[in-house]
Amino acid sequence: MKILGLLVIVVGWLLAVGSVLVTASLTARLILCILGFALSVFGILKILNGAYLKQAIWKQ
Amino acid sequence: MKTTKVNFLAVLLLTAAFGALAIQARGQTTSGAQASSAPLNAPLNIKDANPPSPADQAKGDPGGTLTGTVSDVPASDSKKGLTLGDAINQIGQNKVAVNFVWTLVTGFLVMFMQAGFALVETGLCRAKNANHTMMMNFMVYGFGLFAYWVCGFAFQMGGVGATANLGGTAPLTGELVRHWFGKDWGLIGTHGFFLSQAGTYDVGVMVLFLFQMVFMDTAATIVTGAAAERWKFAAFAISSVFLAAFTYPIFGNWAWGGGWLSQLGANFGLGHGYCDFAGSGVVHAVGGITALAVSMIIGARIGKYNRNGSSNAMPGHDIVIVLTGCFILAFGWFGFNPGSTLGASGNGALRIGSIAVNTMLAGCTGSFGALFYMWLRYGKPDASMAGNGLLAGLVAITAPSGFVNTIGAAIIGFLAGLLVCLSVEYFDRRARVDDPVGAISVHGACGLWGVISVGLFADGKSNYGGSWNGVAGSVTGLFYGDPSQLVAQLVGVATLVGFVFSLSYVFNLFVDYFVGQRVSAESELEGLDIPEMGALGYPEFVLKTYRQDMPHGQAHATAPSVLASTLVGA
Repeated sequence: MKILGLLVIVVGWLLAVGSVLVTASLTARLILCILGFALSVFGILKILNGAYLKQAIWKQ
Repeated sequence: MKTTKVNFLAVLLLTAAFGALAIQARGQTTSGAQASSAPLNAPLNIKDANPPSPADQAKGDPGGTLTGTVSDVPASDSKKGLTLGDAINQIGQNKVAVNFVWTLVTGFLVMFMQAGFALVETGLCRAKNANHTMMMNFMVYGFGLFAYWVCGFAFQMGGVGATANLGGTAPLTGELVRHWFGKDWGLIGTHGFFLSQAGTYDVGVMVLFLFQMVFMDTAATIVTGAAAERWKFAAFAISSVFLAAFTYPIFGNWAWGGGWLSQLGANFGLGHGYCDFAGSGVVHAVGGITALAVSMIIGARIGKYNRNGSSNAMPGHDIVIVLTGCFILAFGWFGFNPGSTLGASGNGALRIGSIAVNTMLAGCTGSFGALFYMWLRYGKPDASMAGNGLLAGLVAITAPSGFVNTIGAAIIGFLAGLLVCLSVEYFDRRARVDDPVGAISVHGACGLWGVISVGLFADGKSNYGGSWNGVAGSVTGLFYGDPSQLVAQLVGVATLVGFVFSLSYVFNLFVDYFVGQRVSAESELEGLDIPEMGALGYPEFVLKTYRQDMPHGQAHATAPSVLASTLVGA
């Protein structure tokens, strides 16, 4: 899960950066940037953090 | 025949007239050339400037009217005496001197923020960890400075080019650039290792180094707050060196050193590229996001969460030094933001007045936002959360401070005050990422908000030498007519969350594997002062034993004072 989380985070970043390459439309770039940002946040807070919470010290 | 005579006379008159005009013009040109070259080297009669006589000066100058006159302008050739060229050179040096002094003094203010961070973080930790927390804040200065001197500065600013306010910084011209997708992508600087390589033994470069170094150290010290009370000192040292040498400089290069983020405007038409005036993103979000990565790896403090996931308040030991630290930080912020003009003279640097007021206002409204939130939600205005809001407002205004008006600054600060409360609650109760001082929320969340706010509130009135990031005109946000600036800011935000987090996370995972990030449970329960540092912070105090720190099925913390006392950001 940690590797998956890391992958999702990086893909989110690349999506946002890629937005300036794949389209000249400002609206499309804006949407892709927000999607990329949201994907990275999801990767951090849900997937990666979720993996850590499963083995959290306070659960042991 | 008569007509021929008339024509001849007319031609003669016209020739004479044009000839006279030509001679006059030539005379003017000659005298103009003399006017533009001769006086620069010609000696001036300084008596025309009425310099004070030695006899008058010998009497003293209580009114300040005899000090600082033409007598103080040095002549390059004492035999020839003072020339206009000498006077003009002195004007240039005075401009750069003003900017040097401004940048250095504001850098000194930022350096003093380390004391503020140390007090805030130590006050919010338990007394048994005071020495350890203080030492992390103390030594991050040295670790960071050393790493930044060795290579961090070169990676970040090695290719920034000429900084006009500092007299050029001509040696900083080494940037690793790759040509991808038809555009140049600046990736990392290559000049300035040890401040000696590639001609960087230069007065302007030294000033820039000092100012940038204290910014980097601010980012580095943010992490110590989030990981406090359980971070192994050796792991802290290695992690801090990495941040100072690589993480911060790489993103700093992309944003401030001429790297690809700053060129999003010139290359892709996105406003003026990523704009971060004083570092909501470069400094605070880098620190806050790294703090999140480290906190996740280290895990929560023993006793912070019960088995059902509910959180326990772990109050700090000295709210007095916490709020004193907040004031020191607010004071230091007047160096952080206005100092980022890198000068007080030329290239629109007089906007320092506006930047300072924006900084004040956002801190003020930030504390309002947090105060109102706590008052409405918990029924009491809470002092420590007001301090939290103050810092949140200051973090958020750091990026837009140079581009917005006072209305924008007040709104940005107020929203940051609200955001920090929501973020603290989220990380504490939902994400269950233990952050003893709220650094992730104050610096991470509000840092990102600050970056975004540039794309919304920049009013298009600033003018720093006519362009920013190589794009002519003023930075303008969505609310003032340029939506493309917001996209540039969002690319920067995504880079902070996606790239900076990943880099910090992977490196700290290695540190965890090879060194171990977390102290033993015994050390943590005893307090880190003796196991890690060998001495107590308060040797003559009677400290609680570890058994009293263990959870006893305490009720979920809901009282505002209890919540807030654990969560003021640093």
